[in-house]
Amino acid sequence: MVQTKKRKSPHRVARETSVVPVHRWFQFLESQSAQIISLPVTILFALLIRWCISLHGYSGRHTPPLYGDYEAQRHWMELTFHLPPSKWYYYDLQYWGLDYPPLTAFQSWLCGAVANAIDPSWVALDVSRGIETHSSKLFMRASVVVLEFVTLVPAVVLLFRLKNMQMSWAARQASIFSVLMQPCLLLVDHGHFQYNAVMLGFFVWTVYFAAREQHVLMAISFCCSFMFKQMGLYFAPAVFFFLFAQCFRLRSGGLLFAKLGVAVLGSVGIMLLPWLRSLDQLQQILLRVFPVARGLYEDKVANVWCGVNVVIKLRSLFDTQALVRLSTIATAIAFLPSCLHMFFMLWRQNSRYNNTTASAITLLRYCLLNTSLAFFLFSFQVHEKSILLPLAAALLLVDKEEWAVNWFVQVALFSLYPLLFKDGLCLPYWVMAVGWSLLRSCPACPRDIQTPPVVVKMQWLTTLGMLAIHICDALLVPPASLPNIFVVLNVLYSCGMFVLFFVYFYYRQFVFLSSDVDATKQKSD
Amino acid sequence: MLNANDIVLIGVGVGVKLLLWPAYHSTDFEVHRNWLAITGSLPVSRWYYESRSPWTLDYPPFFAWFEWALSHAARLWDPRIVGLDNLEYAAASCIVFQRLTVIVSEFVLFLALRRAVCAIGSSVQARVAAALIFLSPGFLLVDHVHFQYNGFLLGILVYSLAFALEGRDLLAAVVFAVLLCFKHIFIYIAPAYFLYLLRHHCATGSSTSASALRLAQLGLAVAVVFVIAFGPFVAMGQMQQLLARLFPFKRGLCHAFWAPNFWALYIFTDRLLSVVASVAPQLVAADISQLGSSTRGRVGDTRFAVMPDIPPLVTFVATLAAQVPAFAVLMQRTCTPMHLVRATVLCAHASFMFGWHVHEKAVMLILVPLGLLVAAAPSKRVLRAHAVLSVAGFYSLLPLLFGAQELPIKAAILLIWVLCSLVFLRADSRSAWECLTHFERLYVLGHIPLFALTELVPGLFGRMQFVPLALVSVYTALGVGYSWVCLVAAFLTD
Repeated sequence: MVQTKKRKSPHRVARETSVVPVHRWFQFLESQSAQIISLPVTILFALLIRWCISLHGYSGRHTPPLYGDYEAQRHWMELTFHLPPSKWYYYDLQYWGLDYPPLTAFQSWLCGAVANAIDPSWVALDVSRGIETHSSKLFMRASVVVLEFVTLVPAVVLLFRLKNMQMSWAARQASIFSVLMQPCLLLVDHGHFQYNAVMLGFFVWTVYFAAREQHVLMAISFCCSFMFKQMGLYFAPAVFFFLFAQCFRLRSGGLLFAKLGVAVLGSVGIMLLPWLRSLDQLQQILLRVFPVARGLYEDKVANVWCGVNVVIKLRSLFDTQALVRLSTIATAIAFLPSCLHMFFMLWRQNSRYNNTTASAITLLRYCLLNTSLAFFLFSFQVHEKSILLPLAAALLLVDKEEWAVNWFVQVALFSLYPLLFKDGLCLPYWVMAVGWSLLRSCPACPRDIQTPPVVVKMQWLTTLGMLAIHICDALLVPPASLPNIFVVLNVLYSCGMFVLFFVYFYYRQFVFLSSDVDATKQKSD
Repeated sequence: MLNANDIVLIGVGVGVKLLLWPAYHSTDFEVHRNWLAITGSLPVSRWYYESRSPWTLDYPPFFAWFEWALSHAARLWDPRIVGLDNLEYAAASCIVFQRLTVIVSEFVLFLALRRAVCAIGSSVQARVAAALIFLSPGFLLVDHVHFQYNGFLLGILVYSLAFALEGRDLLAAVVFAVLLCFKHIFIYIAPAYFLYLLRHHCATGSSTSASALRLAQLGLAVAVVFVIAFGPFVAMGQMQQLLARLFPFKRGLCHAFWAPNFWALYIFTDRLLSVVASVAPQLVAADISQLGSSTRGRVGDTRFAVMPDIPPLVTFVATLAAQVPAFAVLMQRTCTPMHLVRATVLCAHASFMFGWHVHEKAVMLILVPLGLLVAAAPSKRVLRAHAVLSVAGFYSLLPLLFGAQELPIKAAILLIWVLCSLVFLRADSRSAWECLTHFERLYVLGHIPLFALTELVPGLFGRMQFVPLALVSVYTALGVGYSWVCLVAAFLTD
């Protein structure tokens, strides 16, 4: 009923053809000269949807004695607030021992302090375990929203408003909307309950500073990212090679290298300050943060190892050490070509052009996506929630890879279904799945000329495949010998799709960008 | 059929409404569950006598039949929903079922708005205005959180107005009669319909006999509706009981939360004077026995300490007097269907300002037809009145959802709506915000500190919990009253 207006100015016709509803909304705002309300409405809508999702279930609700991730996060607030840092990584490890790096611990301490100021019973040491009062739940939910709005949201808004992201006004706004409304992050953070948005917020700040060529700040924000959650290291090779290339490219490269070294060591050192005096403490943090003993992968996850495991029982064939080695080598093989490609492209650019930040950032975004996807598919001890990292990198490419990213999000959301189902988040899952398809990817849009017809058909097919698995899951009783058959089907299906996306994004990084750079080169020659 | 924009609009709307399921629901939820139980488990003859629950059936018969129809589905869904002694039943299945009935029945509003937009002329403005009605905070907060069926009922009203806009007066009259048999609050706008139909439908006959024939036709059609609705109860000799249920005069002048109307200002003045009386008794003579009386809590009589008491009759006379401008609008030289919409707005507004025991939710009765006027190339004055009234009216609904959990929801929904409506709705190609005077802008912005004062600072008023509510009522009453004056002036001088 809203936005269909025939506009007169002919130069807008090309953009008008976009029928993805998100784009149409922002084009409508533009046509009504209502740009001023665009960002406030996007942010308010993001807040509304987040808060609505948070009304629903969460991990480990009403399930004593251990509860779930919600209780883990709350428990960390309790123990960090009441105990000195030297005890943080030792305290009652059987009951949700702290297993994230120090920045998460500091965040827990901060939240714990605020909670204690409002109502001490929410974080009373030991006696508050499993507390599920209405007010304590509200506080926990609000803390996720607030932390997301101070880290991720400003980073995304600022990033897409940079000139280096060469986009029209409507495309910028649509990108901001899409990144903020990505269903997987919303459902995991505000449904299941975690603080991934903080880590991803620091990650987006990393890309933001890269785009502004502030490399020291870039390194520092990246340190914050992986010091919040070690999964942030999925991006480490890409960030490393990007900064390394800058050291080669720039005239003052040596100085930059020294500065970066100091920045990284300094920021990590500061965050480890309370534990620096004792080697035992540092070792304990390492052991807690990288729990090798927990096995090749966690539960059921749509990566290569879990997929292969259906046929070949890797974990009974090899011991843990061999598996660590195997997965590390496989991961390196998977991410190195992408990183080296970016490295040499950036290096080569140096000799010929001056203003190449825009294409360098595009290259960085592709490399971040491919590296993190390589880690997700091949590395050791991957959680299903880790798909959020490649997803975050993919969403930063939403302007370049419109249909592929939309599709990727659909599949990633599908891969999270078993987790969300356990948390009683079926309703938000369906709302967000249908909502995303409706607003962004919309395979049903008949006039979507931006997407190649074959892709539309394929997307329909895969969507139907996912629906078929959902319908079987809902209607059929699994055979007694294979109680997890539908979860395994989900894993195999998603894993296969992720591998295909991996190949496709690799292809895009190599082929499309080389030609893109060549085209620019010819122009400037 | 539905186009892509409609699908997106419905998709976003239904998505938000579904996500709101676990939010707070008021006692109205139990009221409607109880009505499902009454209509589903008892014979028709017992419907208006059943009183096991305090929430007795007090809507006209068509709404009872609506509940009866729903109760069949409810029985299949979860038989405990329709258990008569299963009071306060609110299991997940019951919540899902009742929330779903609201979402589904609201499509009546959607279809009616589509029809009205077509009748008005499908401009961008019309579509945007209709979308803003469909996704207004009034429906999102009151129907889908607080729990009521306003979307469905106002959908019928919009259908009636759409038929009138299409020139099908007889159909409009019949649909309006049906609406009256769903919820009798719409009787407040019946005078507008009555006059309009006389003038536009009956008096335009080619001769006196043709006009008389049309009148007879009209009377017959409307009478048939009422006979279908009330006939069975007349036959059973229950009319007196039914009327006693429909018009309970035991209730006080004002609802528990004062609706933002003239009487809110009246009570406020009384409370102010009573404070003066307690400080300086020599200045103001007060009825000491009433000084401690609170207006908050159970529905009851409102007593005054200083000002004279208001019997129901006074409010009727005041309402009728305030509706005179609406009649004047219909008596203007030309009488088009748009005049009916204007008169409807004025009638609803007058009764909201001066009616007996008005609920704040009744503001939707003004805003929906006013939204239709805004859809059809309004004058600047109408657009300004709409902006002020919608901000004040919707804001006055916020205290209904008093929990901290709903705070971000109501704030976000209201803000998004206000931003969109102030920017998108236009008169003479200037947006509503641009049309507002400085004074009106100040008033609109004044809701922000009001929100901070009454919602964000808990415990600011200590034990005087009624103070923030009274502040909201008084502040929004000023806007509602102001927009009424503006609308009367705009319609009469147009």
